[in-house]
Amino acid sequence: MMSDLLQLVWSGLALGAVYGLVALGFVAIFSVREIVNLAQGEYASLAGLSAISAVAAGVPLLFAVVVVVPFVVAVSVAVERVAVRPVRHMTPLVSIILTLGISTALKAAMLLFWGPEAKALPDFPGKDFVFAGVSVRSQELWILGVAAVVSYAVIAFYEHTTAGKALRACAEQPIAARLLGISPRTATMVAFAIAGFTGAAAGVVGSPIYLSSWSSGLTLGLKGFVAATLGGLVSFRVAMLGGLLLGVLESLAAGYGATGYRDAVAFVVLLVVLLIRPRGLALKPTGVRV
Amino acid sequence: MGRLRAFVPFLVLAVVLAIAPIALPVNLVNMGVYALIYGLAAIGLSLLMGLAGQVSLGHAAFFAVGAYTQAILVTKTQVPGILAAVLAVAASMLVALVVGLPLLRLRGHFLALATLGLGIIVAVVARELEVTGGTSGIFGIPKPSFLGRIYDSPQEYFWLLAPFVVIGLWLAQRLVHSRTGRALGAVNDSEVAAECLGVNTYALRVRVFVLAAGYAGLAGVFYAHWLAVVSPEAAGFELSVTLLLMVVLGGLGTVWGAVIGAVAVEALDEGMRSFIPKLIPGASGEVQLLGFGIVLVLLVVLLPGGLAQLWARVTRRRGIAVATAAVSRAEHDGNDAAMEYSGLQALSRLLAQADVTESGSPLLSIRGLTMRYGGVTALGDIDLDVRAGEIFALIGPNGAGKTTAFNIITGVLEPTAGTVTLRGTDVQGRRPHVIATLGATRTFQNLQVFGSTTVLGNVKVARHLRSRSGIFRGMLGLAGREEREIEDWARTAVAALGLTEHADQRVTDLAFGQQRKVEVARALALAPALLLLDEPMAGLSGTERDSLAWLLRRVRSAGISVLLVEHDVDAVMALADRVAVLDDGRLIALGEPEDVRANPAVIAAYLGTDADDDALVRAAAARPVPA
Amino acid sequence: MTRNVRSATTVVAIIAVALAAAGCAESTGSGGATSSGSASGDIKIGAVLDITGAGASLGVPERQALEMLAAQVNSGGGVNGRKINLLIEDDQSTEAGAAKAASKLLSTDNVDLLLGASRTGPSLAMRPLAEAAKKPMISLAANQKIVEGSKWVFKTAQNDRVVIERLVGDMKANGYKNIAIARDASGFGEGIPEMLTEVGKDAGIKVVKVEKFAPDATDFTAQMVNIRAAKPDATLIWGIPPAASLAQVAYKQLGIKAPVYQSHGIGNQVFLDAAGASANGLRAALGKMLVADQLAGNDPQKPVVAKFISDYKAKYGQNPSTFAGHAYDGFTIAVAALKKAGTDPNKLRDAIESTSNSPGVSGVFTMTPTDHSGLTKEALVMVTVENGKWKVLDGPK
Repeated sequence: MMSDLLQLVWSGLALGAVYGLVALGFVAIFSVREIVNLAQGEYASLAGLSAISAVAAGVPLLFAVVVVVPFVVAVSVAVERVAVRPVRHMTPLVSIILTLGISTALKAAMLLFWGPEAKALPDFPGKDFVFAGVSVRSQELWILGVAAVVSYAVIAFYEHTTAGKALRACAEQPIAARLLGISPRTATMVAFAIAGFTGAAAGVVGSPIYLSSWSSGLTLGLKGFVAATLGGLVSFRVAMLGGLLLGVLESLAAGYGATGYRDAVAFVVLLVVLLIRPRGLALKPTGVRV
Repeated sequence: MGRLRAFVPFLVLAVVLAIAPIALPVNLVNMGVYALIYGLAAIGLSLLMGLAGQVSLGHAAFFAVGAYTQAILVTKTQVPGILAAVLAVAASMLVALVVGLPLLRLRGHFLALATLGLGIIVAVVARELEVTGGTSGIFGIPKPSFLGRIYDSPQEYFWLLAPFVVIGLWLAQRLVHSRTGRALGAVNDSEVAAECLGVNTYALRVRVFVLAAGYAGLAGVFYAHWLAVVSPEAAGFELSVTLLLMVVLGGLGTVWGAVIGAVAVEALDEGMRSFIPKLIPGASGEVQLLGFGIVLVLLVVLLPGGLAQLWARVTRRRGIAVATAAVSRAEHDGNDAAMEYSGLQALSRLLAQADVTESGSPLLSIRGLTMRYGGVTALGDIDLDVRAGEIFALIGPNGAGKTTAFNIITGVLEPTAGTVTLRGTDVQGRRPHVIATLGATRTFQNLQVFGSTTVLGNVKVARHLRSRSGIFRGMLGLAGREEREIEDWARTAVAALGLTEHADQRVTDLAFGQQRKVEVARALALAPALLLLDEPMAGLSGTERDSLAWLLRRVRSAGISVLLVEHDVDAVMALADRVAVLDDGRLIALGEPEDVRANPAVIAAYLGTDADDDALVRAAAARPVPA
Repeated sequence: MTRNVRSATTVVAIIAVALAAAGCAESTGSGGATSSGSASGDIKIGAVLDITGAGASLGVPERQALEMLAAQVNSGGGVNGRKINLLIEDDQSTEAGAAKAASKLLSTDNVDLLLGASRTGPSLAMRPLAEAAKKPMISLAANQKIVEGSKWVFKTAQNDRVVIERLVGDMKANGYKNIAIARDASGFGEGIPEMLTEVGKDAGIKVVKVEKFAPDATDFTAQMVNIRAAKPDATLIWGIPPAASLAQVAYKQLGIKAPVYQSHGIGNQVFLDAAGASANGLRAALGKMLVADQLAGNDPQKPVVAKFISDYKAKYGQNPSTFAGHAYDGFTIAVAALKKAGTDPNKLRDAIESTSNSPGVSGVFTMTPTDHSGLTKEALVMVTVENGKWKVLDGPK
């Protein structure tokens, strides 16, 4: 019984770490410019599929993984330059439609290039083992490790480096930031690059277990978004923790409730959070109406 | 006449739809059937997104509710098809109501993503429940048959759909031009201004949400019968995206755009499916997504207003001609009584409408008003009264809390403690439209005009509380007399502020000072007993200030009270009957202008305290504040 | 003005391309509505397959098999001198897609016969349309509900009931009584636990746990944890790849020792690739094609299967899966009937129904008015996986 519970929690944590990585990407962009990047999940799929192709072409696994990440970062930056920057008047509606279009185009491109089937990257090096009755896959350890390292790196960047603080300044006071020589354009570009980075990390590290396909980005992106919303779309810590929590909730729901409804769990959580605390769980409420 | 001209596009549409099934090859008619089905749903979504400005990424949920309800009723019960259709549409609307009540408290991104979550939940539930047939769904739905005919060929189904689409479009168009449409447009432009003019924005948005769901539900009914099977894809995100694309491609601001967009998207879909495999051999599956994605991005970047924007640009030269013709027609038209009034007469007529109380009686009472943000006290325990028929000014140095107090009084902020009583009713924490119903409205320091409409259109919104027709009467076009009244009063208000020659111009084309006047005209058109002005003098030239001061005195003499927040101390001293001074969140003086002006505490507050003047300030502060 | 022109051009260009393509596409297809049952000219066979979506591992090999066979028939002069025009549609693995595609093939393209769909759910969605249009339809899917009580619909994949009978035989022989089931949540898996209970009653078989999984699920921890807790003698996983292989992996991952039975939905290399080492030791009842080299010399299916495998491999460079085999059977039965009866719908239907002792890839077919599936449990062999390869467990029973 206990080992069952632990097993469910463990696999939930691994899945949740992937959600968390995707969530970081949402926060990275939203905390600089009020854009919800609906194409975030596609970065993960693209990274996974590219790595699979590289490995199939003979590139060693870890090398392929490392090479694919800058590729996806470049794609994300290209998306920003080609599609986001030219838009003059960005409202929530416009940003949603725009990123939705980008997401759709990316998905279709992946479909055309890689075909419809789901594929898996080979497991990263390591051995599976059993601990306290819980079966642990080495890939799950990789996922949690990468999630921890990437979270730390992103938070350190935004909070402890001058560049990172400058990015945040842009979001809060764009005009003042410009007067100080910080360019909002560069800021947006960097934010998109970081989002590409975290999305790619999620894609390559999760692919061996959860598979990559042209359509796998949708649910991943949506669940990552739910996790990001828990942090009001501005807190990295809460986004990652939220992802972990979401993964565990889903796993427990599937284990103890009806498995079919597990996909609904994330969205019920989303609705509950939005209705109770739209600004997220991290921030204090003010008297201002939403 | 204008009414007949409005019919022409619909007649053309009806004729085109009647001929299409005969003139086009069968595969295009087949495509047309899907275009009409989705187009019907898109009309509702266009009202929601374009008119009410709310993004819905889960609209397919209501489509599915309609489709599933119809499917279940027709295949598993004895309910006749037409009754089932009515129940199916009602079911969609009911679900929308239940879901919309909590959901529509959200805005912008959060609302969009909440609707996304809703769509996915509905899809999951449809997939899991036995009654909806699980993953396979419900199949074997018969083709509809009445009047002795079974509608199973594309041509026949097209003809069956056509009247619904034409009528649905007509009703939607009527709604756009009705009182409800005007209110929605206002909410879209500036929600806070609409609220302050008495529009219950929340209730309105819920109603449009439910209406849009009704359209989607009806489309779902037709879908169920045409496809003969309903499965969880009917609630899928892909369909919500397709509907969104139809609305955006056609043009977000128009309902015609929905139908045009539907045709364009279906054509794009079919075209892509055959075109891309030729370009990339072996490509299969949802390749049309590539086209959809690229089109969406191109639209946003190059043509945000969709095809309708294109159409508008092409016809714009004609458009301006139409507007000026309308103006000159109006000036010579004997029907419009207001045009015959001069500005002064119009003003008198307008001000006489207000429901005023006996001069000198307390109109607005504030007791113990406090506002705290975290550790900061923006307002501390404020007490004051505004009487009927007086001009009351609220002044103070920067950061004193004037704007906070003003926003609380007008319902935009909720205070931490204290009461605001307007005409005997407690209004603190209530929404601004409630305050408007009690006869108080405001203008805005940072101009909140309704940018998408004309000067006259802006002022008409203020008549919202003095008129009654809702969605039904609006859609059916039964509000003719009320609309004429609204127009009459709006023109009166416009004339009263001397803006008659600009009445039919886009408000954003006017100079800043004139836009200010539009806001004032708008506020007065509501016939308030209390007029609240937020820094009305800011940005006005000397003559404009004098003009405004004169107007406010005239307003006072009609028994209407004015509460204004101002920086320009001199103008205020000349104008106001009584003045209250705030500093650092506290009320430091209250009384007639001369007394307040001489008050040392007031002087110290504006000039800043000095160590040497401490004694003086303390002595002044120790004096009791006159009541 | 430039912006206006630029925007206008963009939109007009898009619409023009789309409409032109739509128009072009249709003119290469049918030339508008013509009456059905033409006695001369090309024979139109429409196929609705899961080329993309959850069933892609079935639909893609099916399409390849059909295209190969159609080319073979046409290069041999066609059917009674008439060429075969094969129209393949992708239902995107959904019921709605299948209904849409079938509708188009039946009413716009006026096909003489329908093949498809790849899986149960979409096939069920197509059935009412074929029956209303009174055209014969041959499904490539498993659930016997597809043909139960139908006049116009036939199928070539072994009935799930027949598969269960074979599995029950094996379970009984090995003394397994308490069985846990993890089944596909879609039409393919519907009714399987009930069927196992019914068929296994006499052998004392009881279903102790039923878990469901979505066809596109990737995480099976919850289901397998619950199954492990139920301590079954054996577990039946009923699904198609990728879900079936991921479930297999998850099962072994959790260290569950009880043996695994799989359905006949795993009959292709994709399953083995994805399941890897965890597939070793499983037991399944599959068609004979995967173990063709291990068949007895006098098996009537052997030459048929051997030729199919070599033709397919020559053209596509890989071995065909059992699904390609189902498509082969559907096509050859159709062509045999067309040769006999021409394209008149009623005669064609009768000819299909009178197929008798016809050796195909999935088994030896004998259709009757009450059995539109035509296969018994003789069509299946018990198979296991050894070192990543299929191996016959015992001779056909």
